[in-house]
Amino acid sequence: MNEVLLLSRRAVREISRYPEATIPALFIPLFFLAVNVGQVSETFPETTPFLGGQGYVAFQLPVSLMFAVATASSGLALVTEIDNGYFDKLLAAPIRRSSIIFGRLAADLVRGILGSTVVLVAGLALGAHMESGVLGAVVLVLLSALFGVGYAGFGILVALRTRNVQATNTSFLLFFPLLFLTPNFVPFERLTPLMEALARANPVSYVIEGLRSLVIEGWDLDKLGACIGVTVALGVVLTGLSLRAIATYDR
Amino acid sequence: MIDEGVDQLQGTQAVEARALGRTFKGGVQAVREIDLTVARGEVFGFLGPNGAGKTTTVRMLCTLLPPSGGSATVAGIDVVVDPAEVRRRIGVALQEIGLDPVQTGRELLELQCGLYGITGGDARVRTGELLELVGLKDAADRRTKTYSGGMKRRLDLASALVHSPEVLFLDEPTTGLDPASRLTVWDEVRRINEAGTTVFLTTQYLEEADQLCDRLAIIDDGRIVSEGTPERLKAEIGRDVVTLALDGADARATEAALGELAGLERVVAETDALALYLEDGAGSIAEIVRRLDREEIRVGAIAVARPSLDDVFLQATGRRLEGAEEEQAA
Repeated sequence: MNEVLLLSRRAVREISRYPEATIPALFIPLFFLAVNVGQVSETFPETTPFLGGQGYVAFQLPVSLMFAVATASSGLALVTEIDNGYFDKLLAAPIRRSSIIFGRLAADLVRGILGSTVVLVAGLALGAHMESGVLGAVVLVLLSALFGVGYAGFGILVALRTRNVQATNTSFLLFFPLLFLTPNFVPFERLTPLMEALARANPVSYVIEGLRSLVIEGWDLDKLGACIGVTVALGVVLTGLSLRAIATYDR
Repeated sequence: MIDEGVDQLQGTQAVEARALGRTFKGGVQAVREIDLTVARGEVFGFLGPNGAGKTTTVRMLCTLLPPSGGSATVAGIDVVVDPAEVRRRIGVALQEIGLDPVQTGRELLELQCGLYGITGGDARVRTGELLELVGLKDAADRRTKTYSGGMKRRLDLASALVHSPEVLFLDEPTTGLDPASRLTVWDEVRRINEAGTTVFLTTQYLEEADQLCDRLAIIDDGRIVSEGTPERLKAEIGRDVVTLALDGADARATEAALGELAGLERVVAETDALALYLEDGAGSIAEIVRRLDREEIRVGAIAVARPSLDDVFLQATGRRLEGAEEEQAA
């Protein structure tokens, strides 16, 4: 356990020492939030039924949160260490290999909390308000960050399997179809039948729905449960695959 | 603190490998059934060109790569059966300098201490000792990305020593360093060894092997082709080496012209040169010149030298080490 804490502290320290790796990653979600809201606010005024009396920014906020937390930062940090030899140094130490992964995921949790807090504050500044209150805001940030932790497993997996910086760097592109084949602009019912079918089959839809419910509806336990279920399942699967990849690395 | 734990090796060899081999995907045999024994307290050198199998061997002994065949023990522990225990007993500085560029030298060493179970005040004390040892006290609180190549190598060396390992593996510790930094690293290695730590180092530098190693093995194409103390290896190949620069003269005709020269043990053809291994080099020069004159063969410079490790390598593999490196680079 001690080694996980030590490696977590090191990875978290990187965030403050490499702000250039974190700040640009926040530009995209803030940009999407501002542009999407700016473009369709007139189309979807506050009287639109699915907005619950709020502006369109409330509807878009969860999508931007997803963008803020779904990064390949840990994968990139790992593949860089594979490249510069520090990864071998860690493998040669008498520690469990899993602690290298958990150290990275701890940094993702911190990065996710920071990123989603910034996006939430931006959303609130643009007029959204949390129907679920302050506690809901905390849950919103934590769930977003946990989704980021789960998703980070994908970048880590690509890093360990390919040992290639470019492949790891582009791995986050996978997230685009996953994010857009969702009720990201309008609810399920307003999508075309094909898009609705695809969105309903996409687990990320239920994460967005759950987060959105905290903003617009308050405490909808069904939606929140589905959101937590998908987030945990994603984390278990991708982290599990990453742990297997590091356990079998050069084995 | 460096000599702590060294006595634990009493009664065992520091490194023992039997028929150790590694075949990679695609059937590439990087290491072919090598046998190795490194006694405790030795500086053992593994000399060979790039691609000879040095790093693969070290990675197997450090438990970073499982062998495809054979067995190996390090500090008496089987590398396959109990790799975690092996890792507790060894220090590793690989060819790629393993440093985290975001951390300072001090943070990196304290983290490394923590990974070996040395924490709190002990970690701070040990870190201070090691920074002093490798002369990085003044740069301790700078991020490692600002360090020069020599400083990085010394910090890497220090990080391999945090737990006073019984066996220290150094994979090409001076590759890429300037001559001054190379000498500094040599001094560190000697100091570490004098404190009792067994050192297993790979190198492609003849001088390094000659200067540092008590014993060495020459590896080529995954096989150990020669093994012994540098002096014994040099003595085995004859007393003197006379090198004839051919300067365009025909190698076969030149060799034929020399005939049954007294004391001549063997002739090795090199690129535009012949290396003659004979008992009395200086005393044979006159006779060599006479015989070449008789056959009207004109050669360039004639040099007499004591055998070097390069000659040992040449005898064992049929080519010079530097030549092999150039081939690799090409």
